[in-house]
Amino acid sequence: MHQLQYACPTTLNECLLLMKEAGAEAMPYAGGTDVMIHLRERASCVQNIRLLVDLAKLEPLHGIRLENGMIHLGAMTTHAEAAASVLLHEHAPFLAAAAATVGSQQIRNTGTIGGNVCNGSPAADTASPLTALYAEAVVASASGTRNVPVPKLYGRNGVELAPGELVTEFVFPSFAGWKTSFIKLGRRKALAISRMNVAAALELQDDGTISSARIAPGCVFRSPDRVHEAEELLIGKAPSRALFAEAGQLSSEEMIRRTGVRWSTAYKQPVLEALVERALLQAAGLPLEE
Amino acid sequence: MITVDFTVNGERVKLDVSESARLVDLLRETLGLTGTKEGCAVGECGACTVIVNGKAVCSCITLAAGLNGANVITIEGVSKNGELDDIQQAILDHHALQCGFCTPGIVMSAKALLDANPNPTTEEIQQAIAGNLCRCTGYQQVIDAIADAAERRAVQE
Ligand SMILES: Cc1cc2nc3c(=O)[nH]c(=O)nc-3n(C[C@H](O)[C@H](O)[C@H](O)COP(=O)(O)OP(=O)(O)OC[C@H]3O[C@@H](n4cnc5c(N)ncnc54)[C@H](O)[C@@H]3O)c2cc1C
Ligand code: FES
Ligand code: FES
Repeated sequence: MHQLQYACPTTLNECLLLMKEAGAEAMPYAGGTDVMIHLRERASCVQNIRLLVDLAKLEPLHGIRLENGMIHLGAMTTHAEAAASVLLHEHAPFLAAAAATVGSQQIRNTGTIGGNVCNGSPAADTASPLTALYAEAVVASASGTRNVPVPKLYGRNGVELAPGELVTEFVFPSFAGWKTSFIKLGRRKALAISRMNVAAALELQDDGTISSARIAPGCVFRSPDRVHEAEELLIGKAPSRALFAEAGQLSSEEMIRRTGVRWSTAYKQPVLEALVERALLQAAGLPLEE
Repeated sequence: MITVDFTVNGERVKLDVSESARLVDLLRETLGLTGTKEGCAVGECGACTVIVNGKAVCSCITLAAGLNGANVITIEGVSKNGELDDIQQAILDHHALQCGFCTPGIVMSAKALLDANPNPTTEEIQQAIAGNLCRCTGYQQVIDAIADAAERRAVQE
């Protein structure tokens, strides 16, 4: 590996200029919980990196705020901060819940939501609620900013930002009043297929029927995405175990349609069905067991 | 090389470190603070846990270069004037260690918890040490010890 350089810019402008200059040789450094391990394992993604750009001192990347009905979540928000955020508990409870399940206390204290998404793993826990929230990433570079829906950050090889680009924050509408849930399976070091998760959100009308639904499974598609048919099934109906079981089935059918039948399908299909059903039951406040 | 200027166990330290150096190496190799252990080196076991700016972190995946201005506490900074602190004493009293390899990390996780939350529930204690693997004790004694330490602290106040 090349001798690494380290920079800790204190303004976003300075940072973006640095990144522009270094191009593909620069790598943003957030909490380092993925980067440090890639460096240690000399992973291919760090082979040509010569400069670590520490984002710690960049003010605009920190903090969570509500502005005109939209939540702005700084990319440097740690999982611990997200899990404890009063604002998130009100406006996107399942995102706080997802952050609370990441790794251990030590990992949540350093790992960030920006790093979780930008690392590009299909098993990134916060990517599912962000997808269900229709969150957009604000991507900044020396030549300006663009807003990209979280699933669209992903290319063939995970998240594909151009050299010199940085995610500064995530922006999504308040989901205050929605019923949300996040559940996940398995541990990190276990096989990737056992790291599935589901983020679900339901909006109920006064008569108790569902007016909107979001279901975003993680580690199921190549990139985080919603299962549209299952969502549509729920609209106008009252929450029930049978309905949610059907949504689970539609979800696994959609998975097979989009990813084909693979060696892992026999395992994934029943697990996804159960996870979707349980996530919806939990969101609707129905008992998980019959 | 890059200069970092930070505090370790209350003492100011100014050092030149390699850009890719990890905090655990700086503590153990450069500063001789070998109480901090390295187990897995990938953030999974918690043996290398130290407190940085009040928060428990894994020093094996912490970049030393990023520590300018930070306040670091290691296991060596926990006892005062040669006396064990309440957490350490409670761990001894509850036989919450056997081989002891995980113990410095567990003490640091417990300290970060109790400093922020003096009256934790059992569940909060479990959460706080979920990232500290112990092959010997089975955790129950550790949880009892931390709960007891919280009580001892409260009584003293
Ligand atoms: C023991 C352990 C357990 C873990 N458990 C979980 C788990 O349960 N669930 C889970 O989802 N993850 C888990 N992880 C993975 C990791 O902790 C998370 O993905 C974490 O959120 C990464 O954030 P970070 O700030 O540490 O990222 P970093 O390591 O600093 O960065 C990760 C990648 O993202 C890029 N990047 C970071 N921030 C930005 C930005 N703002 N703009 C552009 N690029 C950026 C970096 O260049 C790098 O490529 C675990 C890791 C460990 C070591
Ligand atoms: S050595 Fe750091 S977590 Fe295991
Ligand atoms: S006492 Fe041996 S690993 Fe915990």
